[in-house]
Amino acid sequence: MQDQSHEEVKKQDKSPNIHVGWQGYLAFLFALMLFSGIFSSADNWLQMFDFNVLNGNFGTLADGKDLDFRGTGGHGARDGFLFAMELIPAVILALGIVNVVDGLGGLKAAQKLMTPILKPLLGLPGVTALASIANMQSTDAAAGMVKELYDRGEITDKERSILIAYQTSASAFITNYFSSGAAVFSFIVAPIIIPLIVMFVFKIIGGNLMRIYLKMFYKEDTNGGKANGSI
Amino acid sequence: MVASDTKQKKNILDLFIEGARRGFTIGTTSLLPNVIMAFVIIRVLDVTGLLHLIGVVCAPVMALWGLPGEAATVLVTALLSMGGSIGVAMSLFTAGILDPAQLTALVPAIYLMGNPVQNVGRCLGISGVNTKHYGVLIGICVVNSLLSIWAMRLIMMFL
Repeated sequence: MQDQSHEEVKKQDKSPNIHVGWQGYLAFLFALMLFSGIFSSADNWLQMFDFNVLNGNFGTLADGKDLDFRGTGGHGARDGFLFAMELIPAVILALGIVNVVDGLGGLKAAQKLMTPILKPLLGLPGVTALASIANMQSTDAAAGMVKELYDRGEITDKERSILIAYQTSASAFITNYFSSGAAVFSFIVAPIIIPLIVMFVFKIIGGNLMRIYLKMFYKEDTNGGKANGSI
Repeated sequence: MVASDTKQKKNILDLFIEGARRGFTIGTTSLLPNVIMAFVIIRVLDVTGLLHLIGVVCAPVMALWGLPGEAATVLVTALLSMGGSIGVAMSLFTAGILDPAQLTALVPAIYLMGNPVQNVGRCLGISGVNTKHYGVLIGICVVNSLLSIWAMRLIMMFL
């Protein structure tokens, strides 16, 4: 997933104007519905729009008893192995869905909707939007883009520090959450999308903590790069 | 409609299979080893009595977040590996040490902590950010992580 998003990032670098078709927005909306869990308690056909309904359940092995595929009372590597087998279908399903949404342009739609939001929240120049968005899917590609921005003089050293404070906490959180995080999808008691939103909000908070820190302790050398005073 | 012109040629079923295949690879080559490692770590901590000790020692601190003392192992593991940390959380959950609400509250914290041990090389190193800020940057990850548990608890009160 990371390799693919890296290619995509390169592609977009050449043409900053992202075109998003109607299927893109539709696919994004579909993903929001599926992972938001709003249809989780529907008792009609609408429940087909819920991730955990699609993920389903294993049958029980013994009739009348509360025993499942994994059994009870195990521990150590063997228990972990059987448990991991229970988790894998969710990962397969989640990445299958994410790939469909991505293929239909859904992630691009998300990017396009996100770009105008990011700028005022972090107080960084518009050129950083692509790196901020790429960071949602890939740690290394986005960090590389930050270095490039600095080397070209588009951002100052301080702006780079703020951007990296945003990036490093929960980096590639969409990729990670839908791969390793999919393991907990059937156990968590909040809609699947809530932790995703919380992570994004705290990424923004992290960037702003850095902003405050720099303002308090590094008042000097505010004039560095070309793109200064963009707040 | 101009968008995704190259990918448009693949139909939805192909796209699903492609992603699902990647999911299978991640599941078997990353998730499964991570979960087994986590289960073994917890088993070692358990049979040596260390898990109980961690639970007792960290209980007063973790109580601030409404978590049992053992939950500290989840956050410490997250410093090294996010996948491993999810595994530890699941292992504590299946052992009945964490309840579903506590597990849910911990999920964003694991990713916000975001294995800084690896990220010093990856995120910070690649971007070339000023080294004098490394401590603060890692501190921000820890602060974010801890604050997010409270935020999750607060949000879950309204669900």
